[in-house]
Amino acid sequence: MTRRLLYRLLAIVTMLGMTTQAIPQFGGLGGIGGLIKGVKNAKNLSESFRNISEPEEIKIGGDLAGIILGVAPLIQDSAKQRYVNRLGRWLALHSDRPDLPWKFGIIETDDVNAFSMPGGYVLITRGMFEGMRSESELAGVLSHEISHVVRRDHIAALQQSLRNSALTGFSDYVSGGGIVGSVVKTAIINAGKDIFTRGLNKSDEFDADRMGVVVAARSGFSPFGLVGVLQTLSAAPDAKGNALMNRTHPLPIERIDRLDRAMGTGMDALALADVKVPSFEQPKIPEAPQQTPVRKKVKRKT
Amino acid sequence: MRRSGKLSLAALLVFCAIRADAAEKGLIIRAGDLLAQPFIDATSAGKVTPAQPVTIVERRGAWVNVDASGKSGWVRLLNVRLEPAVAIIGPNKAAPNAKPTGMTSLLRTGSSGRTVTTGVKGMDEEDIRNATPNYVEVALLDTMAVDAADARANASRASLTERSVAYLDKKRGK
Repeated sequence: MTRRLLYRLLAIVTMLGMTTQAIPQFGGLGGIGGLIKGVKNAKNLSESFRNISEPEEIKIGGDLAGIILGVAPLIQDSAKQRYVNRLGRWLALHSDRPDLPWKFGIIETDDVNAFSMPGGYVLITRGMFEGMRSESELAGVLSHEISHVVRRDHIAALQQSLRNSALTGFSDYVSGGGIVGSVVKTAIINAGKDIFTRGLNKSDEFDADRMGVVVAARSGFSPFGLVGVLQTLSAAPDAKGNALMNRTHPLPIERIDRLDRAMGTGMDALALADVKVPSFEQPKIPEAPQQTPVRKKVKRKT
Repeated sequence: MRRSGKLSLAALLVFCAIRADAAEKGLIIRAGDLLAQPFIDATSAGKVTPAQPVTIVERRGAWVNVDASGKSGWVRLLNVRLEPAVAIIGPNKAAPNAKPTGMTSLLRTGSSGRTVTTGVKGMDEEDIRNATPNYVEVALLDTMAVDAADARANASRASLTERSVAYLDKKRGK
């Protein structure tokens, strides 16, 4: 009995000890004095997004990209990854933020979807990549995602999502510092998960469509590529692989209608013959020992 | 054509492949004219009505050539949505006669799309909720980035031509 009681007491003391130890590490959040100081100096997390710098945006983008890559990793095909990066970067050069460190990736899932993150991250699923009728369609999808980044749509959504958060310490997050930094990081990651599962504002999607077709057209692609993709999506409203995409975007038919109204016939002259996405099928090269005698024979003949 | 030389033959084959693939069924969105040619002021070859089923014969820029109740003509791409069931079946099943051979079969690889496959896990809300950020993959993604000069050189090889295009208003009108 007494020994058990002693253990209990010990456990309580240890817990108390841990708590009191933990408080000072929270710096500005700990103690009355620290709390007042913190309120005076530190901005609420949501406010911190108001005048966010480019490196801060990239930092957030990396954490949000990590979420999607945690679900579906990059496909192991360097030729295809290089292809989307060259194409994507070319498109981004025709946006209003050509100098961001743009990165593009194809991720391993049958699902049809594409994602972007602050600071220049764009991910497209293999399911979507393989469903493209043409390069113009792929350019349309990538340009739509680029437009979200250019317009800082995710930053606005994060700000909205965290508006009721009393968290401070954005600078600790950016510098990767300590417990405060990791608490803020968790909050940002959870808000990012909200965005990826609930979607951005409908109006952000329409705006990104409108900007995307222009970016594609400026880059030498048919602005009607995105329309083709939306048609494909409109044809499969109940496909399992489109479920998340459908839940996070306005109806494809609604997006086509909005684009129709904005594009009118003014972009008809910018349409181009559609070129298919390269197959990336490597022709089989015979092994070296087999090749040598063939070459000799050819030489003798000539 | 924005690509020339060696690629022209390939482009021609691709064009054929696109045509072979295009056994897609669609529905007209708004009432309008079925035009004899893919131009806004082309002569009318008939009328189309909302929800009228059409077969897409060819896609060309802003236009699609359709077979509408036996009549052939052009309507705007933005005036056609695809019919659900057919698109899920996929072009290979929809057009059994269009057997890909040789170069065409190569060019078709990986772009017929819209096939329902299983085996690789999908990506739903729960997956994202439960995800742990994968920073190894983020670092790998960082290494795949190309610089502006590389992108420009590649675009130049592909004969992509930059154009000056103004941003669109929400409602520009027709």
